[in-house]
Amino acid sequence: MIDELCLNDALLAGAKEIFETMIFMDLEESTDPEQKMEEDTLLGSITFTGTLEGCLTICCSSSCAKTIALNMLGMDSTEEINGEDINDAIGEVTNLVMGSVKSRLADSVGNLEVSIPTVVRGRKLENSLGDGANKVLVKVNIEDEFAAELSLLYRENPEQHSN
Amino acid sequence: MAKTLMIVDDSATMRKIIMRTVRMSGLQFDRTEEAGNGNEALEKLGANPVDIMLCDINMPEMNGTELVKKIREMDSCKNTKIVMVSTESSQELINGVIADGANGFITKPFTPEKFQEKLSPFMN
Ligand SMILES: [Mg+2]
Repeated sequence: MIDELCLNDALLAGAKEIFETMIFMDLEESTDPEQKMEEDTLLGSITFTGTLEGCLTICCSSSCAKTIALNMLGMDSTEEINGEDINDAIGEVTNLVMGSVKSRLADSVGNLEVSIPTVVRGRKLENSLGDGANKVLVKVNIEDEFAAELSLLYRENPEQHSN
Repeated sequence: MAKTLMIVDDSATMRKIIMRTVRMSGLQFDRTEEAGNGNEALEKLGANPVDIMLCDINMPEMNGTELVKKIREMDSCKNTKIVMVSTESSQELINGVIADGANGFITKPFTPEKFQEKLSPFMN
């Protein structure tokens, strides 16, 4: 049985690692528990299965997503970038963060099979796992400028055993 | 001798990041190609084999491990060095794909130094 604190730490540490090394942006846990998201958001999500099954999501504003994509591509903030490239970048960030979280959890939950990431634009988008699902939510600040949310929706899968 | 490179990843963003990181590593290629999925990679390799291929694992339709097996069946690519670039890091998976014919493995996130270290043995 894995506890929430452990998942919370893995999620935050995994995201910090990816933002620092691949996006060159600073990511810190928000000090404001009431932190709210803007209306216009992008949600990257990726599902996983194994002894834990569920979904990891990254939700940020459109302007934050654009800055992330520009940084990843090594482009200037004045350059134009299309929506498709922004979606692709957020999908890859989601994939990278999932990879980092997965390797942090390998000792406690074993291997997790990961899907291909998807990105949707919208608000209050949530996957539902139904009964018995738990959720870890980490509110973060990116470059002290953008509010974003990382979440892990999960449940233990009794049919699988950690190896 | 001038070398050729192919980058296979389903994310266009990641292909650009890999391209930039290869450039930062100081390694020089004569020709660099990109493919967004396994089938596109096989098509391009069939027409023009490359010396080194950097290959993602988590891709839709045909994943990187299946792609490696297919390439190893191609006579024209028997000299192509395949280095996997993936968020996957389990030793079991790395051993498996090496057994299937890959020549190396780089874990995402990566650095230019990592590319230099893993690719330079194949540059001569
Ligand atoms: Mg991929």
